[in-house]
Amino acid sequence: MSIARESPPDAGDDSPTDSQAVQPGLPVSVVALLAATGVLAAATAYTAGRLGHAGAAWADRTYWLGQLLILVPVSARLLGRRAVGASETVTLVVVLTVAEYVVKVCYSPAAFTYADELMHWRTATNIMQTGKLFTANDLLPISPSYPGLEEVSTALASITGLSIFTSGLIVCGVAHLLFVCVLFVLFRRVSGSHRIAGVALFLYASESLFQSFDSMFVYQTLALPFFGLTLLAVCRAAELRAPGGSAGWFTVAALAAYATVATQHVASYLLVATLEVVTLGALLTRDRWLAAWASMLAVLSAAAFGAWMEFVAPSTTAYLQPQIAGALQSFQALLTGRHAGAPPAVSAAYGPPGNQALAALAVVIMSVLVPVGWLQVRRRYPRQPWAVALAIGAVSWYVIVAVRLFVADGSELAGRASTFAFVPVGFIAALALIRLTDNGLRWPIVRADMRQRAPILVAGAVTAALVLVLNGLVNGWPPYWERLPGPYQVAGAERSVGPEQVALAEWALAALGPGNRFATDEGDLPILGSYGDQATVGNDGDLYTSPAVTLPAANLVQAQSIGYVLVDRRLSEMLPASGQYFPVDPNAGTYARPLPLADLIKFDHVPGIARIYDSGNIVVYDLQGSAYYGS
Amino acid sequence: MGRSQADVMATALVAVLACGAAASGAPAAVMTVLGIALFIAPGYLLGQLLVGTRVTGLERAAVITGLALAIPVLGGLLLYAAGVPLHRPGWLGLLAAVTLVGDLALLVRRRAGQVAPYSWPPTWRVPRWQGAVLFAAAVMIAGGGVGLARLGAAIQPRHGFTQLWLLPQRHNAHVLSIGVSNDEGRTTSYRLVLLRNGRVNTTWDLRLAAGQTWQRSVPLGPATVAARLYRLPDLADPYRYVFTGGGAVAGS
Repeated sequence: MSIARESPPDAGDDSPTDSQAVQPGLPVSVVALLAATGVLAAATAYTAGRLGHAGAAWADRTYWLGQLLILVPVSARLLGRRAVGASETVTLVVVLTVAEYVVKVCYSPAAFTYADELMHWRTATNIMQTGKLFTANDLLPISPSYPGLEEVSTALASITGLSIFTSGLIVCGVAHLLFVCVLFVLFRRVSGSHRIAGVALFLYASESLFQSFDSMFVYQTLALPFFGLTLLAVCRAAELRAPGGSAGWFTVAALAAYATVATQHVASYLLVATLEVVTLGALLTRDRWLAAWASMLAVLSAAAFGAWMEFVAPSTTAYLQPQIAGALQSFQALLTGRHAGAPPAVSAAYGPPGNQALAALAVVIMSVLVPVGWLQVRRRYPRQPWAVALAIGAVSWYVIVAVRLFVADGSELAGRASTFAFVPVGFIAALALIRLTDNGLRWPIVRADMRQRAPILVAGAVTAALVLVLNGLVNGWPPYWERLPGPYQVAGAERSVGPEQVALAEWALAALGPGNRFATDEGDLPILGSYGDQATVGNDGDLYTSPAVTLPAANLVQAQSIGYVLVDRRLSEMLPASGQYFPVDPNAGTYARPLPLADLIKFDHVPGIARIYDSGNIVVYDLQGSAYYGS
Repeated sequence: MGRSQADVMATALVAVLACGAAASGAPAAVMTVLGIALFIAPGYLLGQLLVGTRVTGLERAAVITGLALAIPVLGGLLLYAAGVPLHRPGWLGLLAAVTLVGDLALLVRRRAGQVAPYSWPPTWRVPRWQGAVLFAAAVMIAGGGVGLARLGAAIQPRHGFTQLWLLPQRHNAHVLSIGVSNDEGRTTSYRLVLLRNGRVNTTWDLRLAAGQTWQRSVPLGPATVAARLYRLPDLADPYRYVFTGGGAVAGS
């Protein structure tokens, strides 16, 4: 079964369309069946993890077997020698996207558990309860200022009666698939080849957040399809070459751009930047229509985003400024020779040597593919403005590598940036990969006997593509220390979300009301902030790591107006899975043993303190009127 | 209106039915189907008005879906600016209004010859039965995976726990709220001992079913108040303890 039949490619397609004879290969229905089996295998591994086998090698292998069942058939069909029809290519891309999304759903099938998802769930819940936008969210204050995702999810939940969780899964799944489809259509229009578009999307899936962050219940998931739809509409408006005929597409572009602005800040910034790069590509290829449309949309988007930041979300600059400033400082130090290299690992994000080796190999492969892709653009698409713009955008690959190597906490920044950078990088690398495989067989220099070894060449291409995508999974999210769901982990991610924490959070909201200043640890913070709607404090390590009331701790309590302390006794039983006990933790990555229990239970002996809640592992103290406030 | 306006009739019907079903308190399953249809309808109509039938297949579906998602984003802002609460009536009104206005605009423009009549060239090839069976099997297997994951989450072994709290009531600081909640996963017997200045003031023997909560209000008074919860039959060591601002003396 095929999903869609497309209009014929513009030019240069060396693969057959549906109307042409297609050599039989592995049917896409069989690919879909294998992918579904892969989903089942991954779900089996997840269930095994929940039932106490999270550390078992067989469970881990079952998960990776599932991933290979999804990835290998799709990559083999896309890169194999047997030609694939246009609609089959679309189907393969859809199968890949849907299968990976369902695997993600199987990781947290009953409720949102990832910290960022919980933050947006809080905003959505506030909208559902109050019927108003822009209500405060102490956990992620910027979230209510960009309410697009929460609007759509709560609208669907309100109308259908579904929960926010279910509505959110539907909205995010549709948005994720829409973004992939929009990119496919765009790449196909640019290259004139559905095969290049399919391989480009497969390589885009090697972006480390493709299976996780880009399809989670976070604002970027919905901003991405709006971002992509804006670009596609600009492309189509410019193709029509007549002001009257382009008006409809231009309206689509403007609506999508405004929706982007209302949904996420980073996507809005990068939409303006991307439209400017497209303008540059159009100017370099002397495509005045495209230059005009793209620059006009860039101005409109910039004006809309500027107005949004000025009148609706003035905190955006303060939210993004520290990260941008940190990155710029690191680059400045690098350029002036004062950079000491990558900072030491402050968390468990770097992973074991095998993961790092895979990451290095993926960097080498992509770093080789991108220049080859540039040569392809120069040879095949010198007058194609979008291809030139994508070639310019692919420079971002090397920027990402530099960020990862030289910027403090660069892995996360590089990972976040790769969502956008891999749009051009995936396309350019696809040009290279196809050139180096089947097209390479046509080189005069390639001898006849080499042509007989074509399967080896294709196998090499498939392997390279798989290395890239597997690297994205291995070094993406969830991290290696929480690959499978399982028992509670201190300072973990999803595995720190358990019924005892949720019960505490719900009790806090009911008994104390919302918005109390709460000191807490890394693992408990997102739950207390979301389910509990409390104003959590992240830089509170001094409060927990001293054996008695100290002046710095008292100063911290008073400066942060901390009213309550959450103490999780398990901090004295386990090392932090993520490497840090607290969200802002100067000792991250250096803990050799758990925190002393005496440091945690010292609050029992502080004059004036009240121990107001006890659930065994978790105790809550009321600091108001205690020695921390000089009483 | 003939078949050339079938889409106008269908989308208008969806808008009317969705509003009617909501007003009559239709079951969740009906509201889910109609709600999703109502979500798609405005996107479809806007797509028809803006890019018409010139695009086909995947591109057309993408534009419609993108616009369908953009309408609640931009429309929700307008509702908020107009002071309309973002609850079911507001969202239903927004989507139904956009749908009906879109229907009207499409009808007018079609009659004026500015927009092509309804047509949706078949983009789905009729699959061979073997392919259809395999795709159906794939959907069922993947669905089975989700079901397995949900089952795993439901039966995941968890440590049971009991919550004990003692704190001044939010609206009356002179009255303490004391409570016990049983999340041990089974019926559990407790003894709760309330102490004032370290002396036993009140004792409650509780037997709580799984998930059951017990609460009382007690006067605060000038004394330090503490509460010890024992899980029977162990009366030697407090299972949980809490206290008001009197330090460890009260609780331990």
